[in-house]
Amino acid sequence: MSTIWTLASGTFGEAIRRKILLVFLFVAIALMVIFFAFSEFSVREDLTITKSTGLGIITLAGVFISVILGINLIPNEIDKRTIYTILSKPVRRHEFLIGKFLGGLITVLTNTVLMGAVFIVGVWIKQKNPEWAIWEGVLMTFFQLMLLNALALLFSVFVSPFVNFFLTFFIYIVGSMSSVTESLATPDPHKSPFVVYLFKFIHSAIPNFGNFNIQNPLIYPGTVVINMTQYIVQNMMYAITYTAILMLIAILIFDKREV
Amino acid sequence: MADNEAPSSSSSNADKGKTASLADAISSDNSPQGETGNAIEIRNLVKRYRNLITREWITAVNDISLDVVQGEIFGFLGPNGAGKTTTIKALLGLIFPDAGTIKVLGRGPGDNDAKRKISYLPESPYFYEHMSGREVVAFYASLFGLSGKARNKRVDYLLDLVGLAGAGDKPLRAYSKGMLQRVGIAQSLVNDPKVLFFDEPTSGLDPIAHRDIRDLIIHLKTEGRTLFLSSHQLSDVELVCDRVSILYRGKIRQMGRVDDLVAGGKVEIVAQDCKPDADRIAQLKALGGSTEQIGDDILITSSGEVASKNAIIDWVRGVGGNIISITPTRRTLEDIFIETIREGEREAGEATHFVEGTEAGSRS
Repeated sequence: MSTIWTLASGTFGEAIRRKILLVFLFVAIALMVIFFAFSEFSVREDLTITKSTGLGIITLAGVFISVILGINLIPNEIDKRTIYTILSKPVRRHEFLIGKFLGGLITVLTNTVLMGAVFIVGVWIKQKNPEWAIWEGVLMTFFQLMLLNALALLFSVFVSPFVNFFLTFFIYIVGSMSSVTESLATPDPHKSPFVVYLFKFIHSAIPNFGNFNIQNPLIYPGTVVINMTQYIVQNMMYAITYTAILMLIAILIFDKREV
Repeated sequence: MADNEAPSSSSSNADKGKTASLADAISSDNSPQGETGNAIEIRNLVKRYRNLITREWITAVNDISLDVVQGEIFGFLGPNGAGKTTTIKALLGLIFPDAGTIKVLGRGPGDNDAKRKISYLPESPYFYEHMSGREVVAFYASLFGLSGKARNKRVDYLLDLVGLAGAGDKPLRAYSKGMLQRVGIAQSLVNDPKVLFFDEPTSGLDPIAHRDIRDLIIHLKTEGRTLFLSSHQLSDVELVCDRVSILYRGKIRQMGRVDDLVAGGKVEIVAQDCKPDADRIAQLKALGGSTEQIGDDILITSSGEVASKNAIIDWVRGVGGNIISITPTRRTLEDIFIETIREGEREAGEATHFVEGTEAGSRS
């Protein structure tokens, strides 16, 4: 465990200083600050748009940060030959991969918390009172990003960062449209069985990123989620299980990969 | 560099405490040595790669076998692309052989117990730039389970050993290439290794850093460590290595003790007052000697064999001459290297790309 932690902290230290990630972080924070500073709407509109935009900015910046980080975690180590000195030490390949993933995840968490803090302070100032429920949206965003990070890391063990970038984004977009793929997978006399099975497969195999979109109940207080805690816990469990499966596949591939 | 003054990591009393601390942190030595006493054993190693564009298979390492005994400094030589780094990576378990067997300290490549006893310094190593030299060495020490005071002591000792005691807290981005190489060596010694794999440890260094690192390698040799050294710096290799192998196009073309390889040089005999006629000159040629007139003297070059030497001395006396000097000339490892590679090129039917007098490292 100490090996994994050592690798994770080294990865975090390196990742947190990556300029491109800092750019996304600062742009996201700047956008939120500008938005909060200049938005002039009626009270209801203001809050709706503020919450929607704030969470959207966090998600978008977080997606870019997770993907760019995830696609480079392993290739960077190979390109710069750091992996040779690490794997020639008593470090097993799965420890290396898990350490890199955790380092990336801590980086994503740090970025999400920073953006979330700005978001909640902005809403607090606008609303004149804090709304802690916003953290639920931020939490869901983080678990969504964890899943995305694992997906990018999985692809990074066998495809180039360039291909990985588009592949991960493609899957993220398809996975975010889970309601669409679900309806396409629903049997219908007018649909070919092939199409139904194809979308059933896509809906089952591709991570369901749309489930993490908590913006609707957040922005539309009229939308009722019967049990928010259960909704959040279920999504967290889904993200953790899916991430574990992706990491297991990544470990199996990486174990056979030459570096 | 303070390596000459620094206590040996296994010999001095001062360092015994450090070694003991390290031993406490690193699991006990349960990695057996090779049954034959070899630190490294390679048998019929083959490694092929597929060209992604042409789909052709390229044989990077072609059926090589060698043993490195414990405590030996083994030079692994060859032009660029000969298969040196591929072999080292296979030894470390970073890539997998297509055929053949490999053992390091009696274990298969990549075995974690063996990895506790070995270390690797890649060519132009890169480390996390946000860290200082001290943090980098501490990072690698942590991978061996070292922590707290034991780790700090080990890090201090190693930074001192490689001459970075005063610069250990600077970030790596402020380091020169020579300093980075010293950090690389420090990280490679963090576990007090029995077997070290050094890939071009002096590549691109200024003369001072080059000399320091060469001295450090000599220092490691005196400590009885096994060193598998890949280098283009043939003069260094000749100085520090016990044995070498010369690889060309994935095959070992030459292997043996350095002393044996460079032996068998020629002898230059300078004589005066020689008045040979044509028959006598022909006789000298038959003895394997060649002559060159230098002023009033004659320079005769012959093989270094005793019989040949004596026959030429007799010949000089036979023509009424006097011996002025007899000087054995020694071949260098570079001579052997160039001859071996040229022979390999001839065998491969290639046009020669060698240019006389260029640094071996620049050829490929």
